[in-house]
Amino acid sequence: MGRILALGILGALASAQVALAQSGSITGTITTAVTGQAPVRVTIDQKVCGSELPDEAIVVDARGRLANAVVTVAGLKRAGGRESMVMNEKCRFAPRVQVARPNGSVRTSSKDPVLHTTQAQYEDGRTIFNVGLPVPGITITKAVGRAATVRLHCNTHPWMRGWLVVTDEAAAVSGADGRFTIDNVPPGTYQLRIWHEALKSASQTITVVAGQHTDVKFELR
Amino acid sequence: MALLLAVALGAQPQPTTIPEMWSAWCARCHAQDGSGKIAEPTVTVEPMDFTDCRLTSAEPDADWERAIAKGGPGVGLSPEMPAFEDSLTPEQISGFVRHMRGFCTDRGWPSGNTNFPRPILTEKAFPENEFLVLPAISHDRNDVEIKALYERRVGKRSMFEIGVPVANDGVDELEAAVKHALVSNDRSIVSLGFETVLSSSLAIFEPFASAGTMLRDWYVQGQIKVELPTDRARADRAFVYNAYLGRDTSAAPTTWTIGVEINGENGELAFTPQVRKGLTGTGALAASLGVTIPINKREQRGVRWVGYWLWEYLEPWRARK
Ligand code: HEC
Repeated sequence: MGRILALGILGALASAQVALAQSGSITGTITTAVTGQAPVRVTIDQKVCGSELPDEAIVVDARGRLANAVVTVAGLKRAGGRESMVMNEKCRFAPRVQVARPNGSVRTSSKDPVLHTTQAQYEDGRTIFNVGLPVPGITITKAVGRAATVRLHCNTHPWMRGWLVVTDEAAAVSGADGRFTIDNVPPGTYQLRIWHEALKSASQTITVVAGQHTDVKFELR
Repeated sequence: MALLLAVALGAQPQPTTIPEMWSAWCARCHAQDGSGKIAEPTVTVEPMDFTDCRLTSAEPDADWERAIAKGGPGVGLSPEMPAFEDSLTPEQISGFVRHMRGFCTDRGWPSGNTNFPRPILTEKAFPENEFLVLPAISHDRNDVEIKALYERRVGKRSMFEIGVPVANDGVDELEAAVKHALVSNDRSIVSLGFETVLSSSLAIFEPFASAGTMLRDWYVQGQIKVELPTDRARADRAFVYNAYLGRDTSAAPTTWTIGVEINGENGELAFTPQVRKGLTGTGALAASLGVTIPINKREQRGVRWVGYWLWEYLEPWRARK
């Protein structure tokens, strides 16, 4: 009996191994020659927000590596992760950019002792919701609907921006080093789409081979 | 817990009373004095001036509570007004409305809570700024009358109106009326009015009284009127009495309101079941449809379709985006 169980477990492990080996992954680096903007002068709630905040529309390091770009694998559906979280902290949305799932929800909360609002809008300006966060520690959950690029905005601190890229496709956000990783991609040829809030979108066709990393480089302008 | 948070956050004191909360939160967009005038606004829509009694006194508390809870879109206004239902208690929300009522410092305006939905035939008691078109179509005879009505408030408690009925045979009448809210409180209102109907051959003087109140969620409105023609050979004296009972099906300005009227003139009785609906997000446009069915003396009087199309012309039509 014990032997059979042990064999069964081994078998399961082996087939998981095979599944992994059968898929590949996509990694890459996103860069740009565009430089970031001057910091934002804060005139409201300086006690909480400070007197100056970095303009995070373009977050790029000294080597041109670009954060907050979203890479999507066209046509590769992904489930899971139905709830996203955005924190209002030091008068910024954190994270500024994230991937969310259609018909999921987003939670918004605040650590700042000032009134923030989270207004979520489609790109055409239609509002999905706008909630007030008058005191720290409250968390409000709101539905996000269809796949879309949703912009977050605070009505009391106009520089605050956040983005939810709502998609049912495999997607990742580039980190501070411009790097991104998308695992578990079945072998095949795909189109990658790259979106950034302030730069021109781009796309590239790539081929994923079983058991290998496909590394790509993008320059956004 | 709240105390811990406050301590953790150090020097930044959190507002604890409604006036403090108004200053810390709402004044951002509405100004400390409620006027909505901000030196450097962070929103694109300038909110209504809450110190302007002429505008605010016509608003029922419930609409403001809904605006605070659901945000602007809840009452057909701009989404730049955020929703607070997840962060404030209902008691705090009604506290804000009481605080905001204080911005109109001028007393004597009748409460917007008594600005009940208008019945089709019963004259409402609250003075209005409205433009109306009221059709009445006889069900089995070829009889159509359409009346255009312009109402305008004068001073705090009065209103005048001018009506022009157009019948099958053209225009032959002009109606003019004044109305004054005699007594009112938070739930009830009583008005006196005087209407004159002028035609080429006759004048009819029609003093009337109108009243309205809330019984739980029900609107109760009533009117009595005497019609005194200058020439008794051409028209009869009449005693007219109307009563209305109705309720909303939701709290949104686009709600359906269902109701019924009893309409009497001397010995003739009829009833008028009716529905009303706000047509725009703010309820600035509304329409009503009903049918007047005689209860007695049916032979002489047929069934009539009645209704109105209404424009509250000082209210914004819909959200400025
Ligand atoms: C981010 C800015 C902002 C904040 C903060 C804000 N409001 Fe508003 N509010 C608005 C705007 C803009 C409008 C007008 C919308 C329109 O007319 O389309 C409005 C409208 C309203 C209305 C409806 C008035 C009407 O025209 O019927 C009420 C009531 C109201 N606000 C109460 C409050 C209260 C109470 C608070 C604080 C808890 C508050 N608001 C905080 C921006 C704000």
